[in-house]
Amino acid sequence: MSNNRKIVIDPITRIEGHLRIEVEIDEENIIREAWASGQLFRGIETILKGRDPRDVGLIAQRICGVCTNVHYRASISAVEDAYGITIPKNAEIIRNLVTLSLFVQDHIVHYYHLHSLDFVDITSALNADCVKASAEAKEWCDHPYRNSPEHLQSVQEKLGSFVKAGRLGLFANGYWGHSAYKLTPEQNLVHMNHYLEALTLQRDLSKAVAIFSGKTPHPQNLVVGGVTSVADMLNPQRLNDFLFIIKEVREFIERAYIPDMMMIVDGYRESIDAGEGRASGNFMGCGGYRFGEGHALFESGVVRGHDFENIEPFDESKITEEASRSWYENDAPLSPYEGETTPFYTDLNDDGTLKSEGKYTWVKAPRYDGAVMEVGPLARMCIGVAKKSPIILPYMERFMTKTGMELIDFSTTVGRNAARAVEAQICCDYLFDMMSDLIENIKYYDETTWTKYVFEELPQEARGRGLFEVPRGVLGHFVRIEDAKVANYQAVVPTTWNASPKDTKNSRGAYEESLIGLKLSDPSAPLEVLRVIHSFDPCLACAVHVMDVRGMELSQYKIGGGCPSGL
Amino acid sequence: MRIVIVGGGIAAVYLANTLLEQAPDLELLIVSEEQHPPYDRIHLCKLVEDCNCVDSITLELNSNVRLELNQKITAIDSESKRIFSQHCAFHYDKLIIATGSLPKTLFNISDIQNAATFRSQRDCEVIAQGMIGKNVIIVGAGPIALELLDTLMRSDAPKSITLLVRKNYLYSEVISREALELIRCIFEADRRVRIRFNDQIVDKEVEGNTITKVLTTQGVIDNPFIIFGVGIDPNIPFARESLECDKGILVDETMQTSNPDIYCVGEAAQLREGGFIAGRVKECSIQADVAIANVLGKEANFTEEVSIDALKVGSFLFADVSSPDFNPKDSENETILISHENRIDQYIVNGDRLKRFIGINTNIDLLALKKLIENDSPIDAAYLYSNRLMSEKGRLICSCEGVHEQELVEIIQENSVTSFAELKAYSKAGRTCGRCKQDICSIITATPVDPIEAARLKCAREAAAKEAKLATVRARIEKYNRLHAKNQLSTENFEEAITSFDLNHEFNHWVSMITASMHLHPDFEEVVKEGVTQLNKIPIIWLELSDCSGNSEAFIKSAHPSVDDLILKYISLDYHELLMAASGDQSEMALDSIIANDAGKYLLIVEGAVPLGLDGKFLRIGAKGETGLELLRRVSANALAVIAVGSCAYDGGVVAAAPNPTGAVGVAEALGRSDIVNLPGCPTNPINIVGTLLHYIMFDEFPKLDSHNRPEWAYGFRVHDNCERRGHYDADEFVLEWGDDGAKKGWCLFQMGCKGPHADLNCSLVKFNEGTSWPVQAGHGCFGCGQGKIAFDEYANQRPLQEKPNE
Repeated sequence: MSNNRKIVIDPITRIEGHLRIEVEIDEENIIREAWASGQLFRGIETILKGRDPRDVGLIAQRICGVCTNVHYRASISAVEDAYGITIPKNAEIIRNLVTLSLFVQDHIVHYYHLHSLDFVDITSALNADCVKASAEAKEWCDHPYRNSPEHLQSVQEKLGSFVKAGRLGLFANGYWGHSAYKLTPEQNLVHMNHYLEALTLQRDLSKAVAIFSGKTPHPQNLVVGGVTSVADMLNPQRLNDFLFIIKEVREFIERAYIPDMMMIVDGYRESIDAGEGRASGNFMGCGGYRFGEGHALFESGVVRGHDFENIEPFDESKITEEASRSWYENDAPLSPYEGETTPFYTDLNDDGTLKSEGKYTWVKAPRYDGAVMEVGPLARMCIGVAKKSPIILPYMERFMTKTGMELIDFSTTVGRNAARAVEAQICCDYLFDMMSDLIENIKYYDETTWTKYVFEELPQEARGRGLFEVPRGVLGHFVRIEDAKVANYQAVVPTTWNASPKDTKNSRGAYEESLIGLKLSDPSAPLEVLRVIHSFDPCLACAVHVMDVRGMELSQYKIGGGCPSGL
Repeated sequence: MRIVIVGGGIAAVYLANTLLEQAPDLELLIVSEEQHPPYDRIHLCKLVEDCNCVDSITLELNSNVRLELNQKITAIDSESKRIFSQHCAFHYDKLIIATGSLPKTLFNISDIQNAATFRSQRDCEVIAQGMIGKNVIIVGAGPIALELLDTLMRSDAPKSITLLVRKNYLYSEVISREALELIRCIFEADRRVRIRFNDQIVDKEVEGNTITKVLTTQGVIDNPFIIFGVGIDPNIPFARESLECDKGILVDETMQTSNPDIYCVGEAAQLREGGFIAGRVKECSIQADVAIANVLGKEANFTEEVSIDALKVGSFLFADVSSPDFNPKDSENETILISHENRIDQYIVNGDRLKRFIGINTNIDLLALKKLIENDSPIDAAYLYSNRLMSEKGRLICSCEGVHEQELVEIIQENSVTSFAELKAYSKAGRTCGRCKQDICSIITATPVDPIEAARLKCAREAAAKEAKLATVRARIEKYNRLHAKNQLSTENFEEAITSFDLNHEFNHWVSMITASMHLHPDFEEVVKEGVTQLNKIPIIWLELSDCSGNSEAFIKSAHPSVDDLILKYISLDYHELLMAASGDQSEMALDSIIANDAGKYLLIVEGAVPLGLDGKFLRIGAKGETGLELLRRVSANALAVIAVGSCAYDGGVVAAAPNPTGAVGVAEALGRSDIVNLPGCPTNPINIVGTLLHYIMFDEFPKLDSHNRPEWAYGFRVHDNCERRGHYDADEFVLEWGDDGAKKGWCLFQMGCKGPHADLNCSLVKFNEGTSWPVQAGHGCFGCGQGKIAFDEYANQRPLQEKPNE
């Protein structure tokens, strides 16, 4: 152990929130131990307590500005579940249209703008031959997205002009020229082309989301009982606008995102074969988004240790959270409804590093039946294939045939991205089906968007949860209502699962597990670590702010001067 | 600082205009219970002749003053510094009450259709319509009653007019018998007019809502129309609970009420020593000046001055000069009366000092008399007799500003003035109380000027004004070029760039936005365009603290200019955790290198609140475990300027919502600095971020900020005022249930809890996601996200506001 060196990476950029990774490497630069730590605590759940259950939506959605709609929806659904309110079909469809558009947007932004620079060397793209690059793109797709050599030339000039000006802005200080970059200059250029196109596209997607939700981030269209954007729903022009945007996005996914992903799979085949970034192989999904009498978009189930043959049914009562390594009191595993935690900050070491043996993060450790689970697109696609979902299977088979990937190959850094790309394609195609459902419904004069209830007549005491598959995995909001006010509120979010710390049995969380055995070619530039962590699409705002802080008394800590709040 | 003025008259307008002249950065709000913008009550008589001419007596109000009409204030909550009307609450930092007075009546006339008072535009309408063919009775003997009488005489409508005077004098008890007789003769020259002294109403007969017969001590009047001009009461019922009052609101000599943040001026105010200044505009504006000085932290005291008053009557001239220490009961007073035909000069002296002068059709130099009293100089009777002639400057026209007729004529001729508006540049005459405005207008009309010269001067004036404005624009652009001497982009490169990026459309959009954000006329776009082509790169650091990345997410959705070009070409976003390629050590190095190499040159944008609890350790960033606060302090120390983006960075936002578990505060509070530029919103509309940045990049200064350091061009609007559903609010068409018929038709969401009336933001103008929608369009309504304390704590969401929201 004494020969091992420790590397601290903080901040991890291109993610939402404040994440720190510490790894210990041996003489051969192989990672032997890892710690993932959330470095921010906001206490949104404490703030939610004592409030009117109808108000939780607007506050809970501010848990995160990236996956903002899903928290909004899960919190409102939790209250509806508690009161037994069933929302009208139109409301359900509108909520789905917004959520699935966000899936697509989230996946595209994550891949191109937050993650692709771990695989794509922008400086190399400047040396590309544009004619060759255009031909290269055709290797992966018959009609690549915006691919004329002239267009690629203009992209190259655009990139070149600011590189030459000496100010790289956001692109300054990347690990450019690192030996871990594997693509050819032409492939890099094709990717950078789509990086810029995707910037425009994600903006258009936001417009689609805003059509039904007022604005994004932080939409404002949901209320307990339904949705408010009835006037937009009844306006054919708005429905059309939405469809046109989604149509363009589908073009982009088919002719840019999926082919680019195949190119990455090919370029980084070595990394896939080496199983880089593979975690424990425990996957969990709660399923959801059922339409009419048909299959649900996502299947539920639990896989252990990559055993795709024996899928267990998913049972939400087996979820617990514990805090033995997190900055809270009470180490015992508890159900989210019963959770009782008090912050107990044990600080960092004097040199600013994490206390490897004790508590080291604001993120708690959720477990399913005592086991660590990985959630997200990878889990959903694996479970879908294993359960032979008629929706997921054809898309996955097509991708696997073209790339020669096996199911196990998806459980890697590169594979997580591939699963995410396929999922984006499925969600995008599904938006069309949902829209026609909506139009059918309106056509038969169902214009209802809200289920009437009299708040004063609802039960004074109730409890409920909203459980959803969201872009990064399984999201659960749990609410307990007493005297018509929120008595306890908790959110167990996807990143809590993936960024989980170790537990009493010392079993590592998914981030940590996926780093073990990874070899760094240059410990002073740990690009490989970034790549692995980014492949999970970390969203630390969610992971940390949502700790249950019931009964928290800040007065027992030394509070810095000038704290004005009536704590 | 936000100053709220309650009242809709001359005093309110004078206060607002003068305050803005002296401190242009103030946020000013006038709250008036009337339906018309403030008008000049001095000229109310004009409205009786023509009810529809209220526009012609509307007072000129600085365009930066916000005006709330139809808001009758019902209460003051001095603890939370708010005032309430039936519909709204208004926050103030300083409050100035100028509500004036309400006319008294002798009996309740609210249900009577043929009785009126004389104070508002509405009263004038009632009088004008009601007096037709009636025996009009004016009750009262003071200036108001006399001016009204003079006005009604000019109309053919009344059958007869009786002035009922309870005692035996008009205007003032000190007026001479001769003067009284003269006035009476002048009025009664109209055979319909009778002035009855020592008479009053003793009984009346009422049928339904009509008084059919009035019995007075001296007789019976049939078919009457009664107008009361018997006196006034300060209009202050809303203040009685929270402020010390007697008959009026008690104020000290600084015009401060019993609450140090509240001032009161004019007829609503009662000086603890000295009483009221009813009806005297000049004194009222002096009181306003005193209040303004004190509000702005300067010292000033009100002392009563020698007053010059006049009656606004057409049939004769009436002037009154009075010393503040004149006591009508003093037995030492002596009267000197000099009369000739229809002219009477009445001097009241005490010992050898002049105390008061009342003149009818006089030509005495009133200013000379005023000076005499002010200097406390002795007089001799010989002087009074010798000073029979008008001074060579002619008749005194404007007693407030001391301008004589001859002086005016000279100004008019010299400058070829053809209208009252043009006169403004040369003289303040007619612009204080406005009483003499009509006189001045007739003098202007009567004074011939050379039309060619007038037109030439007019052109020259306009050209000069435009040149002055252009000069300021040029100066700013020159300053910009001076500041950015080391431009990497030449004009040519820039033009090439916008062509190759196909940015012409966006570029034009951009130029328009900047022009507008500088509050310039669109004509100036060309000038701005020249300046914009000189753009440079300014390093920018974007720090995320206790946040959710919502503002960064919103920022990358910016459309004008589109974010890729913005990042790549126009600004250098050098450190941004969400978007940057570098991580860990590499990103820290990038940050350190900017702080060291670009000290004093970079802009710092901060997103998120600053947790102060647990010694700031609720947030730690970087390998050394620096807390959010430490990092913020380090990076902000060398920053050229700090911009707080989003509601969390502004006031703690949702992170600081009760019970504020991490002790979170906004950036300004965390740093203890008052120079942080705030762009609140949840998230902040990227248009507001980009617009503010561009303005800064161009001119090295921020656009004009309000008292909360928010750019006025984005935060100077109330969501409610520009809301697309405002028409439905005014028409009382409300959504009453989610998804109901009103919701389908896009009716107002006020009853569903919309906080638009309380939100200062431009959402209703610019919307979100490239103008696609916003919360009101989506049928949900606004929840005041730009003010964290409102959005997350003070107001329950989805439910309509109480008249007085719970704290």
